[in-house]
Amino acid sequence: MKEKTSLLIRFRYLLSLVVSVLLAFGIGAIILAASGFDPIRAYGAMLSGAFDSWRHVGDFLEYAMVLCICGLACVLGARVGIFNVGGEGQLLLGAIFACQIGIWLNGISAWIVIPLAALGAMAVGAAYAFIPGFLKVKVQVNEVITTIMLNTIAAFLCQYLAKGPWKNANKNLVAATESLNANYWFGKLIPRSNLTTAVFAAAIIAFLVWYVMEKTSKGFEMKITGQNPRFAFFSGIKTDRIVLVCMLISGAMCGLVGMFRVYGVEHLYKSSISNDYYFEAIMVAMIASYQPVAVILLSLFFAVLKIGAQGMELIGIPSQIYLILQTVIIFFMAAESGITASVEAILQRRRARLAARKRQEEAAV
Amino acid sequence: MEDYAVQFSHISMEFPGVLANDDISLDIRKGEVFALVGENGAGKSTLMNILYGILEPTDGEVIVEGKKIETFTPKEAIARGIGMVHQHFMLVPSFTVAQNIVMSKEPKKLGFLFDNHAAEKRTQDLVDTYGLHVDPKAVVQEISVGLQQRVEILKTLYRGARILILDEPTAVLTPQETDELFDVIRKVVREQGLTVIIITHKLYEVMAISDRVGVMRKGKLVGVKNTCDTDERDLASMMVGRPVLYDDLHKTDHVGEQRIAVEHLTVTDNRGLIAVDNLSLSVHAGEILGIAAIEGNGQSELIEAITGMRKPESGSIRIMGKEVAGLAPDKIRAIGLSHIPEDRISTGISAPASVTDNLMVGKHDDKEFNLFGFHQRRSTIERYAKEIYDKFDIRGAGPDVAVGSMSGGNMQKVVVAREFSFDTPVLIIAQPTRGVDVGAIEFIHKAIIDRRNEGAAILLCSADLDEVFRLSDRIITLYEGKVTGSFRAGEITKEEIGYYMTGDRTEKEAQA
Repeated sequence: MKEKTSLLIRFRYLLSLVVSVLLAFGIGAIILAASGFDPIRAYGAMLSGAFDSWRHVGDFLEYAMVLCICGLACVLGARVGIFNVGGEGQLLLGAIFACQIGIWLNGISAWIVIPLAALGAMAVGAAYAFIPGFLKVKVQVNEVITTIMLNTIAAFLCQYLAKGPWKNANKNLVAATESLNANYWFGKLIPRSNLTTAVFAAAIIAFLVWYVMEKTSKGFEMKITGQNPRFAFFSGIKTDRIVLVCMLISGAMCGLVGMFRVYGVEHLYKSSISNDYYFEAIMVAMIASYQPVAVILLSLFFAVLKIGAQGMELIGIPSQIYLILQTVIIFFMAAESGITASVEAILQRRRARLAARKRQEEAAV
Repeated sequence: MEDYAVQFSHISMEFPGVLANDDISLDIRKGEVFALVGENGAGKSTLMNILYGILEPTDGEVIVEGKKIETFTPKEAIARGIGMVHQHFMLVPSFTVAQNIVMSKEPKKLGFLFDNHAAEKRTQDLVDTYGLHVDPKAVVQEISVGLQQRVEILKTLYRGARILILDEPTAVLTPQETDELFDVIRKVVREQGLTVIIITHKLYEVMAISDRVGVMRKGKLVGVKNTCDTDERDLASMMVGRPVLYDDLHKTDHVGEQRIAVEHLTVTDNRGLIAVDNLSLSVHAGEILGIAAIEGNGQSELIEAITGMRKPESGSIRIMGKEVAGLAPDKIRAIGLSHIPEDRISTGISAPASVTDNLMVGKHDDKEFNLFGFHQRRSTIERYAKEIYDKFDIRGAGPDVAVGSMSGGNMQKVVVAREFSFDTPVLIIAQPTRGVDVGAIEFIHKAIIDRRNEGAAILLCSADLDEVFRLSDRIITLYEGKVTGSFRAGEITKEEIGYYMTGDRTEKEAQA
């Protein structure tokens, strides 16, 4: 019985996901055709854009890592009923502080600097998440509003730091910090790509987050707290603490992604360290309906689309088509419950009518 | 040929996996009071929802006053003279009685302006015609629940109802209000020739008011009887499908040490108004103290303060000798308290979680369910939950389904099972059987008594006076947050206690 129901739910989710993706590609094709592009050629370019070279494979794996950790950070909050929209700000602050730690400690062994930078990035991300978390728990301030506003503040603060006190010596490079000593750079796993050893740390984090959420008694408390906070509180779960701790961990994960971006890819801080990556990760988390495993898999899918879309640019098709696809998928996933409900209602009515007719026939015989 | 108000002919209603109504044929005569009884999930509400056009039956037909119903919508039902008063009133609290009554068919000035004067006049006419006295100008939120119900009835009459469906109408009423309601029902039936269908759980009310009674069980109509030819015991057996013990429960005078001590407690409600006013009470080991009060007289806030769900303004609460006023539930539970909350859906369960998970909450940190103290042993948990599931006779599609998909009675059993499984010396129980069927009530009552006999101190609060009387060793009445009376079991009757519940009488010696 149990296997059957859970399989059915999973199957249903998968089905609606596949249908949404196909519909999205269909609509994308119409838009492409209407704009005078050949959809098949465009999608072909997209596919080869992601898979035509190891370098591109490395790039999409790195981007999948960013989406996955940020997406899980979002899931972690959502699981306990707090929606962390402030990951972008936490990421940027984590990035700039991690970078600056590497610059301040320049010359010291990488074995010390890298852990310190990671811890620093996590501490800054967590501290920045503490503000909305604390306000939510203590005085019920809506965290969505506070985190969105704090994003802007973080972006401008980083901008100020990168243009002002922490600016590099190079006059031509505006709004960027000094470059990190190459000793501290993460090793490349695929030459010339963005994929670095950070992906191993990310894999461990993803595993831990999944494990704690799905397999432990703390994860159980988180789930109950998110489902019905009043019931959780009533049952003796320390709901305030759990919400705050999850928010802090969520912030720390975002901060750490910032550090990965600096030490793995850019090797200095500049504002393009993240182009609203966290917001894309929120989309992924939503499409994954906040299930950790689905987040991991969908991160890969969207990373392929994103990197592949750059391949489309090469043949003159705007890569924005990627955004259209993403939005349409979300749209259909959101409409899914309504669509399935109405389909079920129609089936139900038909079944009822058939049953009635059968009964009448039996009565007639 | 007899004159029928409603004829159900071979009605079947199928929901996915459930046959809620199974080939029901039932004729309701014009001008009678017909009681429909049955356990939760027996299909009474489904049948009435079909009559009121909310549901379309899978099979069969409904004939109202000789004419078959073709389209099942409430609009059509209302047009055919059917009115329904739901258990939860559908009134706008800030509107006057008259405004509520004329709503959807408002008198207008100049074709579009609401004519309040005409509304009040029409309401007054209605009041005079039917003799249901209520002030048309009164604001609904300021009148008693009994009067609000009267407004609901008037509303249906205003829309031309000749067949009145009352869904659990006495659930929220005091005994006096119930008597008044019954007078009203008799009056409209006798004088206006209305037909009344009343859904209820309370069998003595069936005996008191109805002409005929239909009993439903598991979607089937198992019997229709003339009320004068049956009795409560007979009906209860028909509902449950086996003989039901309806014996009086043993009361106890044996009292152990004090376990709950509330002194000079003051608690405010959500609006910041005083709900519990300098109240003191105590409960001892091995006794059940029942609170008899009309909803909204501070009992909810009192229980929330004791259990840590609400911070008191002042006063002291001691559980097992420890001061707990202002502590969070986790601390209070650790001292040895469990709590069945009055609203199971908002507080007592997590609807999307499985029965297993709901039974585990509170025990989830126990050593036996965790490897190394953090890794959940799912198989042990599932075995344990299955055990509790069977022990408490929870009925449904097994412990893996979401609690939210279960019937109210089974949901309540999940709450009771979990809270009783903590085996605490103190129990706070609010509305243990609200919306629960007879079989489950019997079970829950027995479980409560068993806990008392094992020596637990129990504070019981219920809107169902019968329940308070049946279970309590001592009873206190609350009115506007104050204790107005304190009695040993058997010292007072249900009728008399009503005066204390409405504040008409108070005892000087109000120290419980």
